[in-house]
Amino acid sequence: MKTFLFRNKLLTFALIFVAFQVLLAVLAPTLGFQDPYNQVMIQRMKPPSAINFLGTDQLGRDVLARIIYGYRTSLVTCLTAVGIALVIGGMLGMLSAFYRGWIDRIVMRFMDILFAFPILLLAIGVIAVIGPSTWGAAIAIAIVYTPIFARLLRGPSLVIVESEYVMGARAIGASDARIIFSHLLPNLASVILVQVSLLLSAAILVEASLSFLGLGAQPPTPSLGLMLSEGRNFLLLSPWPATFSGFAILFLSFGFNLLGDALRDTLDPRLRTQD
Amino acid sequence: MRASLGPITNRLLDLAVVLLGVSILVFLMIRLIPGDAIAIMLGANTEITPERIAELEARLGLDKPMYIQYFDWVTGALVGDFGTSIWTGRSVMSEISANIWPTLELTFLSILVGAGLSIPIGCFMASARGKNSEVAVRVVAIAGLTIPSFWLGIVSIFIVSKLLPSVSTLGYVPFSQDPLGNLQRMCLPVLALSLPMLANLSRLVRSAMLDALGQDYIRTAKAKGVPRRSLIYKHALRNALIPFITSVGVATGYLLGGAIVVEQVFAIPGLGRLVLGAIAERNYPLVQAAILVMTTSFVLVNFLVDTLYAYIDPRVAK
Amino acid sequence: MLVKKIGLALTTTTFLVTSAAAATLNVAIDSSPAGLDPHLITAFNSVVIVQGNVYEGLTDIDAGLNVVPDLAASWDISADNLSYTFKLQSGVTFHDGSTMDAEDVAASIRRVQAEKTASPMAASVMPITNIEIIDPLTIKLSLDEPFAPILSSLATIAIVPAELEADIEALQQKPVGTGPFKFVEWLPNNYIALEKFEGYREAGLPMLDGVKFNFVPEASTRQVGLTSGDYGILPGIDPATALQLQAQPGVKLHDTLNVSYTLLGMNVTRGPLGDAKVREAVNMLLNRDEIIAGALFGAGVPGGPLSPALSAWALDTSEFACYTTNVDGAKALLAEAGIETPIKLSILVLPRQDARDISQVIQQQLAAGGIEVDLVNKEIGEFVQDWRNSNFDMFVSANGGNPDPDQYFYRTFRSGGPTNVYKYANAEIDTLLDTGRTETDQAKRKQAYDAAQRTLACQGPIAHLAYGNLFTATNAKVKGFEIYPTGRLTSLVNVSLDE
Repeated sequence: MKTFLFRNKLLTFALIFVAFQVLLAVLAPTLGFQDPYNQVMIQRMKPPSAINFLGTDQLGRDVLARIIYGYRTSLVTCLTAVGIALVIGGMLGMLSAFYRGWIDRIVMRFMDILFAFPILLLAIGVIAVIGPSTWGAAIAIAIVYTPIFARLLRGPSLVIVESEYVMGARAIGASDARIIFSHLLPNLASVILVQVSLLLSAAILVEASLSFLGLGAQPPTPSLGLMLSEGRNFLLLSPWPATFSGFAILFLSFGFNLLGDALRDTLDPRLRTQD
Repeated sequence: MRASLGPITNRLLDLAVVLLGVSILVFLMIRLIPGDAIAIMLGANTEITPERIAELEARLGLDKPMYIQYFDWVTGALVGDFGTSIWTGRSVMSEISANIWPTLELTFLSILVGAGLSIPIGCFMASARGKNSEVAVRVVAIAGLTIPSFWLGIVSIFIVSKLLPSVSTLGYVPFSQDPLGNLQRMCLPVLALSLPMLANLSRLVRSAMLDALGQDYIRTAKAKGVPRRSLIYKHALRNALIPFITSVGVATGYLLGGAIVVEQVFAIPGLGRLVLGAIAERNYPLVQAAILVMTTSFVLVNFLVDTLYAYIDPRVAK
Repeated sequence: MLVKKIGLALTTTTFLVTSAAAATLNVAIDSSPAGLDPHLITAFNSVVIVQGNVYEGLTDIDAGLNVVPDLAASWDISADNLSYTFKLQSGVTFHDGSTMDAEDVAASIRRVQAEKTASPMAASVMPITNIEIIDPLTIKLSLDEPFAPILSSLATIAIVPAELEADIEALQQKPVGTGPFKFVEWLPNNYIALEKFEGYREAGLPMLDGVKFNFVPEASTRQVGLTSGDYGILPGIDPATALQLQAQPGVKLHDTLNVSYTLLGMNVTRGPLGDAKVREAVNMLLNRDEIIAGALFGAGVPGGPLSPALSAWALDTSEFACYTTNVDGAKALLAEAGIETPIKLSILVLPRQDARDISQVIQQQLAAGGIEVDLVNKEIGEFVQDWRNSNFDMFVSANGGNPDPDQYFYRTFRSGGPTNVYKYANAEIDTLLDTGRTETDQAKRKQAYDAAQRTLACQGPIAHLAYGNLFTATNAKVKGFEIYPTGRLTSLVNVSLDE
């Protein structure tokens, strides 16, 4: 009982921590932050002050505003990417498990091909083809994560498909679509929830790495990875943009990871061994 | 279907299919990138006639139809000839082998540190379950997993250069040439690479341990009065082995694929940087061969892991 | 052959083993060169490594951007300016042991001219129509019409052994020249090592035993490496790194005005940009001081079409009225041109930090006058392709400069010029540029280029933004280094290391 409460305390904390950051990002335009695009040349590279709580960047823009709007860029990119990967990859994984045989073999081999690439390299390759931008990064991350979702959901799907009640549903003549949507999907909900949270956390780091290499969001878009990448060039002149954007990436990714971890413990103890 | 060929043969067949797919994908992907090697080499604002550009294209074999280029490449690769690096004219394999040692060493050391430390830390986390210290350890573990490695890298370089100005942390010296200098330079990159792995693996050890501790035979053993410490290590750890090996396998595969950002930050001449540079200069043969080497090692490591755990736990093989 | 190979391997290892003790200068540059053939590769990284160190030309450009003798000891120019007779230095040997003579010079020029070599430098020696070897140390180059910048162009043409004339592969990997340093080995992605050439023509030089060019992609890493002593010299560093190194103990910062510059290019076939008034308005909206402060960390000066470093040629920016920021004036000009604001245009941005920052500042400055620009960031390959195909409204980029005005102006601003991607055509400018090219009287050339600068500065297709400072940082142990505005490390021959 005590451990259950503890887990929930952790879950509550994780939820609040994530919700706080997400809300800041979503509500940013209404919260009275400065214009993240406005350059004030005489205020370049200033340390934190009463006007700029986190200082200013190399073009005199408010670091706090750029971080908050950077959260928006990160979240939009990563949610889109993980969403696409979940729908396509998850679908492929479930269908493979459901139909088995040749479909399974072909789909999973194709997923293996994508999975065999180092994550960042595949993303870099995809972006090189479609061009560096926020959406480019989102598509690249989606492609990289598709095989991961397919593999993650295929295993549990296999177990469910072979369970007695799905067998039973088949016996009474339920259609494939009905079995997939009313039996398979609901039973996968907790796995999906946990994995989405964990992969979002990882996606935030991938997006930051891509922006760091100049392949993600492009100027003047506020982006955490880009800010870190630009800020490291003048770290000794003004450490603020690089330091704060680094912390912002850490907090955002940390929040989702903690949430996933707490969810896993709370929702389904059996899932804990599947990493 | 699978039974007729036997599981190992079947898996090898799959492996070949995957590698063939990778070769096609890499080949197409790099050619779809706008701007070819010649544009990159010449840069903007260079005065050159179209005839001379055509001459350069012919020299690099870029004027042939794509399927012929692919066919030439695959037939060459099958007999071990992966072509020559387009600007230096040196064999691609010699460029890769020059860059593979730092990657291998980095991978080996990171696995050693990450996997090695994860066992005691994971066990500690499991035994401290529910206590306040566990929260701290868990939060630290997750922070370790989510700290951006390039940030950690840059910050650590600056800090070390301030605190220990006489210590060389940058670049790479082969171990055979200067063992101490080599290890000294490996410290920070290994730290940056092994931290996320350590965090991940120790969580895994923890949860596998907790599962195992909840199982009947452990309870029985406990009731029989086996001392607590040896109980954890002997009985439970064996159960944690399979997911642990899987994760180490995946991590090894990825590290062999080059730790691009960390190699970049610490100026280590490894595979990741080689490929990044090759993509940037559209060095097609080099990108193709290097990615093929990386994916092959990734696929092989995972194949080994699968085979290994069929051996540890025969139930999995079925 | 086998014996030779072993011999080579032995010398290589000996070099590596002794390099720690001997005086080897470690240089850190950002990336591997795309090759080392001096007639093929024009990228900064290749030039920094080989030009002046491994290779030498007939002439050289000194720190004041003047043409000085190098492999040519002296030269005579015929009265009609159509033939140049060079007297070569005697006793010069190549790294392979052979003696350098007029035959090698002739072969090197022919090699650059040959279509098969596909040299991007061909244009600068194409005016040479006849090469005559008078004796082993005298060579006469003839032109069909006068070509004023020829002496300065020859500084970029490396002299290589004659037997390599038809070989388009060998030099890419293993350069052979007459310079003070000899190529040892190239580990891709890692370093290029050069060693002292014992047979160098000037006794006692070079002072170093070797130079090692390390490829270090991260600016912050290079910076730490210099202060820690891992690297002795960082050539061509960005202003932010320079500012940070300035305050560090044990570091010496060298700087000079650069011939390279940042620019805003305008495609005159794109909508309103075809109107000279609009281009002038763009110039008036720009605040170059702000660009320099914000994007170049204060390191640079505003400049016209020619670098202020070319003090013999360049006009002062005070002569260009449009260089004074004047938003109302710009709006008036736009109105006069009958342009309705807002105008929507896009800027193609070179993927480099300074260009990214400059384009962001420009975006804000142009917006004040009703010119709304989108920034288009592309990867370098695509940038070059779009540039070459004139597929842009405007672009922000950085160009390397040239010591002679003709080398920049003629190809860029003359109608149909090979790098006139702006599609600019102005008959008056064409006449002035033709005069500048064929006229050899310095005063008359100056007159022509002055007139060209006045028109091009405000109404030309390029808004020249700033000439940056070229910074090179050295560790305090490095003695005798001198910085050249061309970015070449020519002075390494005189460099020594304090123990």
